[in-house]
Amino acid sequence: MEVRVALIGQPNVGKSSLFKALTGGDVRIANWPGTSVERVEGVVEYKGRRIRLVDLPGIYGFSATTLEERLSRDYILSGEPHVVVVLVDATLPERTLYLAVEALELTGNVIIAFTKTDLAHSHGVHINYELIQNKLKAPVVATSIVDDRGLNALLDKVLETASKPSGKPLLNLDYGELEPFVESVQRIILEHRVLANYPSRWLAVRLLEGDAELEERLLREAGEEVLNKVRAVRSEAQRIVGRDLAALTASKRFQFILEVLGSGIVKKKVAGGGFKYRFFYNPVLGPLASILFITLMFLAVFTINTGFPLNTLLSALGQEELAVAVENYSVSGLMEEYLGAVQEWVGGVVGNPVAASLIAEGVVGGVGTVLTFIPLILVVSLILAALEDSGLLPRMAIGAHYLTSKMGLSGAAIFPLTLSLGCNVPAILATRASISLRERLRLAITLPFIPCQARLIVLLALSTALSTFSSSLLVIAGYLSAFLAFITVNYALYRLQDKPRGRNPELLLEVPPVHRPVPRVLWWMVWSDLKHFVKRAGLVILSASVAAWLLTHVSTSLQLTLDPSDSVAAAVSRVLTPVLEPLGISGPGAWMVVFALITGFFAKELFISSLLVVSGSPTVRQAASLLGLGDAELIPLAVFMVLYVPCLATLSAIYSETRSARHVALTVALMMAIAYAGSLLTRLLITMG
Amino acid sequence: MSSDSLTLDAVEEGKVARVLGYEGRGGWVYRMYQMGLVPGSIIEVLVNNWKGPVIVRVMGVEVAVGRGLARRIRVQVLGEGAGWR
Repeated sequence: MEVRVALIGQPNVGKSSLFKALTGGDVRIANWPGTSVERVEGVVEYKGRRIRLVDLPGIYGFSATTLEERLSRDYILSGEPHVVVVLVDATLPERTLYLAVEALELTGNVIIAFTKTDLAHSHGVHINYELIQNKLKAPVVATSIVDDRGLNALLDKVLETASKPSGKPLLNLDYGELEPFVESVQRIILEHRVLANYPSRWLAVRLLEGDAELEERLLREAGEEVLNKVRAVRSEAQRIVGRDLAALTASKRFQFILEVLGSGIVKKKVAGGGFKYRFFYNPVLGPLASILFITLMFLAVFTINTGFPLNTLLSALGQEELAVAVENYSVSGLMEEYLGAVQEWVGGVVGNPVAASLIAEGVVGGVGTVLTFIPLILVVSLILAALEDSGLLPRMAIGAHYLTSKMGLSGAAIFPLTLSLGCNVPAILATRASISLRERLRLAITLPFIPCQARLIVLLALSTALSTFSSSLLVIAGYLSAFLAFITVNYALYRLQDKPRGRNPELLLEVPPVHRPVPRVLWWMVWSDLKHFVKRAGLVILSASVAAWLLTHVSTSLQLTLDPSDSVAAAVSRVLTPVLEPLGISGPGAWMVVFALITGFFAKELFISSLLVVSGSPTVRQAASLLGLGDAELIPLAVFMVLYVPCLATLSAIYSETRSARHVALTVALMMAIAYAGSLLTRLLITMG
Repeated sequence: MSSDSLTLDAVEEGKVARVLGYEGRGGWVYRMYQMGLVPGSIIEVLVNNWKGPVIVRVMGVEVAVGRGLARRIRVQVLGEGAGWR
């Protein structure tokens, strides 16, 4: 039988790295039931046994204040894991042992693994692991992913612990003056035989601390009478103890940690070294440095992906040949070239023209889109991984807080914000870092305003059709209007909803020491992002692409057709054309623009390809002249394209994060309204000037 | 309340202080406890500018505490700290 191990640890202790060092990066990612929190699993074959490791989200304790904490304790108590491995940072044992103590109170089969033991020495920390093991009465292993030390010892301990019958006594901390109250709550629980799957003493302590989730469960299972009894004990305890009970229990746990470490640890000096990076905390330099870092990072990403803005810069300097080369060898340039060739080849091989079209445009096109995104995600996630692993990202968040708090966002919002410039989907998942639920919802709704790389590609394509207006100015204007929309909407929502109620953006963030990123760790992070993307977004994009093909190749009489102007999508577009009239887009070809915008909903980059297909033009420039679109029409159209409804994948991410169809509808309505208003305004400015 | 108690946002850079307690409740208080900022714990104020987050060191870890939260933490200043090293 396989051995199941739950891996837990506080943020920044090196949990993901150890997990990957053990599993060799061979992981399976799923979601915890009913949530969008990732469940990462990997299997190790060791001494003829299968060991399944489940990497739980990083948590500070088991207080159920966050979904991750609740989920972790429920999983540990579910009986599924045979062993719980708690990771403790050897360079910061006092703080990070806290979770281990809470785990020892919760379950018997705990192994404590110290991480970064190679670093402890240089931090002036010397730990006697054996002594700590004796005091905690639980196995302790010293590990390091730099030289793989302790990994086999850890697996040995896992097998040994799993083979022992469970029922090892839990850690019983002495809570001093709270003890009589712990006992009375415990008695109430045992008397009524409720919540039997929780250890009764642990449950009693938690209820005294005021755990809202457990109270709710107690109410459901035992009724109001029992809950009121427990609450009465709690208020009595509060009166006698005279301070917050959760503060008392937390203090007792830390006191216990100090006793355990007391003789088992020698510290020479305080760990420090953050001095060089202090400028991030400066109210003037911090925001500047953060913005500079983000700008540089995305200029690099943009250039690799599309050639912009390096190509524009080079041609401005008179280096036309270099500029063209940069563009051709950019990711989107290469993809365009090879994708076209493959599609032509499919057309030649498959005899049936309808089938060939489905495969070439629907399937190859969809797979191609997924492929286009891969290098893009790779570059974005590599840079982000380096920033995160080095410890620079939290410092940037602090620097950015000075600016973002003005629009009601905490500095931590820069993680999703920067991700958004790559792709909105992972950005919406990253809003989880917010400590405020309100802020998170606001972010999930407004992040899609930030133009992703797909929109950059469309923007660049539209800019090639301009006659007098500068094409780089169009790209800049597109980004400016998007940021303006993001900032305005966030500010408005914050001022209307949160500020009057005193809900200001807050920051509570651990700042790990700065170090050079470890290549192996970077690769793991990038690899897991990539896998994740291909699995999650890949399927959506592929099905959207096939769906888009069907909508554009099935006529209103439900016949397959190769002429897109007969299709269902075209019929719908024709009805909607009056909407674009105020933007100056009218005439017999106007429906094609509507049609392109509709396909853009499936995936933004489809906007260009469908415009080309229905107008039968080889380039955007020719399509524009065919449809009678001049600069005065193209510029408002570009603004509309940047701001209007996010793609299907983004909407599904918003739904899975907020679990609310209302929020999805709100996002769509908001974006459509702002896109329309913004493009009308642009049109007005152009026709006036 | 003892006369020498003040809120964290008012503590000068480089001072060492003891956490006395929190004003208000909520998820953030639990998070503070878990991060080692329990009443009675000793912290060192590493950075405190006229605005922006206060950076403290607690149990060897640097933690950024937003100014709004810092205003809700009562502390007692004990003396000079070791500073950056």
